[in-house]
Amino acid sequence: MKLSKRTAVFVMLILCSALFASSAAFAAEEIKIGALFPLTGPAAVSGQNCVNSVLAAADVINQKNPDINAPLAAGEGLLGGKYVIKVVAADHQGKPDVAKSEAERLYNQEKVFAIIGCYNSSATKPASAVAERAKKIFMCGCSSSAALTERGYKYFFRHAPTDAIESVEFVDYIEYLNKEKNAGVKTLGLIYENTEFGKHAAEEARKAAKKIDLKIVADVPFNNGATNLNSEVQKLKSANPDAVFGAALGGDYSLWVRTMKQVNWLPKIAINYCTGYQNPAVQKELAGDGNYFMGGMGYSPELAKLFMPEAIKIQDKYYTPRSSQPFDSDSIQEAVMLMVIAQAIEKAGGPDTEKVLKIIQTEEFTSVMSLSGTVKFGPDGQNVNALSVITQIENQKYNTVFPLKYKDTEPVYPMVPWDKR
Amino acid sequence: MRMNKRDKLWYGFIAAALALPCIPGVIEGSFFGHVATMVLLYAAMAQSWNIISGYGGQVSFGHSVFFGIGAYGAALAVVTFESLPWYGAPLGMLAAALVSVLISYPCFRLKGHYFAIATFAIVEIFNRLFMIWDAVGGALGLDYPILPDGWKNFSWSDTKTGYYIGALAIFLLVFGIVRWIEKNRMGYYLLAVREGQETAESLGVNSAVVKLGAMALSAALAALCGAFFAQYNYRVDPPMVMSLDMSMKFVLITILGGLGTFWGPFLGALVLIPLQEYTRAYLSHLGAGIDLIIFGLIIIVVMIKEPRGIMGLLGYFGRKAAGAAEEEGEDR
Repeated sequence: MKLSKRTAVFVMLILCSALFASSAAFAAEEIKIGALFPLTGPAAVSGQNCVNSVLAAADVINQKNPDINAPLAAGEGLLGGKYVIKVVAADHQGKPDVAKSEAERLYNQEKVFAIIGCYNSSATKPASAVAERAKKIFMCGCSSSAALTERGYKYFFRHAPTDAIESVEFVDYIEYLNKEKNAGVKTLGLIYENTEFGKHAAEEARKAAKKIDLKIVADVPFNNGATNLNSEVQKLKSANPDAVFGAALGGDYSLWVRTMKQVNWLPKIAINYCTGYQNPAVQKELAGDGNYFMGGMGYSPELAKLFMPEAIKIQDKYYTPRSSQPFDSDSIQEAVMLMVIAQAIEKAGGPDTEKVLKIIQTEEFTSVMSLSGTVKFGPDGQNVNALSVITQIENQKYNTVFPLKYKDTEPVYPMVPWDKR
Repeated sequence: MRMNKRDKLWYGFIAAALALPCIPGVIEGSFFGHVATMVLLYAAMAQSWNIISGYGGQVSFGHSVFFGIGAYGAALAVVTFESLPWYGAPLGMLAAALVSVLISYPCFRLKGHYFAIATFAIVEIFNRLFMIWDAVGGALGLDYPILPDGWKNFSWSDTKTGYYIGALAIFLLVFGIVRWIEKNRMGYYLLAVREGQETAESLGVNSAVVKLGAMALSAALAALCGAFFAQYNYRVDPPMVMSLDMSMKFVLITILGGLGTFWGPFLGALVLIPLQEYTRAYLSHLGAGIDLIIFGLIIIVVMIKEPRGIMGLLGYFGRKAAGAAEEEGEDR
């Protein structure tokens, strides 16, 4: 059959207009969300993991995921595909002044609806101050300084348990060991980086220790990014506390562990705040030397297998292909915050800041990536359902030892000395 | 009064800088407004360093200490004493001048590299001191509360215009003082000390007084910039202000622009700050510090090609253009 020239043009026109109409009908509006993390500098690896985690959550929301049983996973985008989430990543280099100016740029230039960040508590503070002044929403996944939710801010929300919550849990565990296992832990040593995070963690540890009359016999701050921790570890060794609470990020954590091996000393029990301990890459680097240390965690692949099966699916489908490792306890909390704000936008019927704010303040959100399964914020913006467990690492496997409800393994106590490993 | 070419350039610059906020949307709430404010601030910081190190020849790596004292002056006034930064800033300037004299008096006995090394150590000492000093917030630093917008608190939430005008005022003050020094006896004394301390002394110049005076002035002006920095960022902590990283910014901007020249610090800031801000803003999402790699490469290329900085480059092109015009005249 031969078409006339006129008919061919007509058919082409109809086809083009149909194509245009269909693309217009499915063109979803973008809701930009800023992901402000340290992509360079000493905490670069953790920051990049956090961005990858937020991107993984965006994929859960934007793409059809019938295999994942999580809010917003089944459909494409928000409100029946009317909106999709676009993540705008930015780097604050671990510097508070850069965090502040990047937060301003994200809100004013990129026109992001909300920011998720900033990993370092010292960067989260000025960046969230920008949000509060501009009356914009700021979602904080894992910055743990308790001071962040003590400022009376209205637009600031945090998922992670604070240093205060973790300190109480650590002390509760020691009390349990003393009572049930006759552990005899009577003295405590603190080693922490001299930053917003470390100082706050130490302060909360001191308060919590009073609860069971744990005597603090060593209080050792150090400068983060240190190249040598010999004198600090020697101070611990000479005081010889039964337990040590540590707050050291990334490379500082591995340096601390290695220095303890060098000076051939270990306490009976060492528990860490959200630190390098939680990072699988750091544990891989430490290999056997990292064994028997403990730490507070909100996520581990082992824990997830038992209590958060959907998180494992998200991890395997969207996170590990980007990061080449499983979620860690810090980065996953940033993904949770994107899922929460997306649910709030869905309930509000669109990206209206005041409506979304009201929903975040008042409602409880289902969260397949949180240990508690739900997220609910108190009047101060702190997640009241925040939960963390104490794990002990053995051969790069995080075994849960406390609370008893989540316990999957008997702890190795006291820690095995260096010469017997 | 007849104006020479240099005066015309100076007054023309002031007019242009003052006109900028009058154009709607250029400064107010824009990223460009932030970059322009930072250019003026860093130019003023670098010029304050240029007084002692460029004109006076005493290369200091310790200026972040004075900058930090100024920042803490303003922040303590606002955060600790719940007062106004207008009281804290001058006190910070005074404290910085005093500290600079106390530090410099013994250090000026050292010459060249030894003086520079001593100032390096001073940054570390002050950094550690402020990290453990709880009265100034220690490692936690000082965080500003949310205050009402306006000149009284020197704080604005949704506009950069106030900050831009503040930075411009500091810029004009610092550059105005340097213009005065250049034309005044003090400028000649400083140059004389830089070129040969013994020769200057043999001609009756009291080199110790000249150097201490220049250092005190330089420190006070650096402290004023620090006070602005704290106000702008709503926070101060030791790594933010009293660090080798911050000290290097004073040095790098001036050397890139042209050490010991009037416009050098401004040109250095004009190239370095937008480069730093825009590469970070638009390339940092690529990860792996691509912005920092590009930034570093440009600095290396400029320094290899023209160690006298941008002022040297401009001089070279100026001479080349003049030479070409002369040749053209001869041909005629």
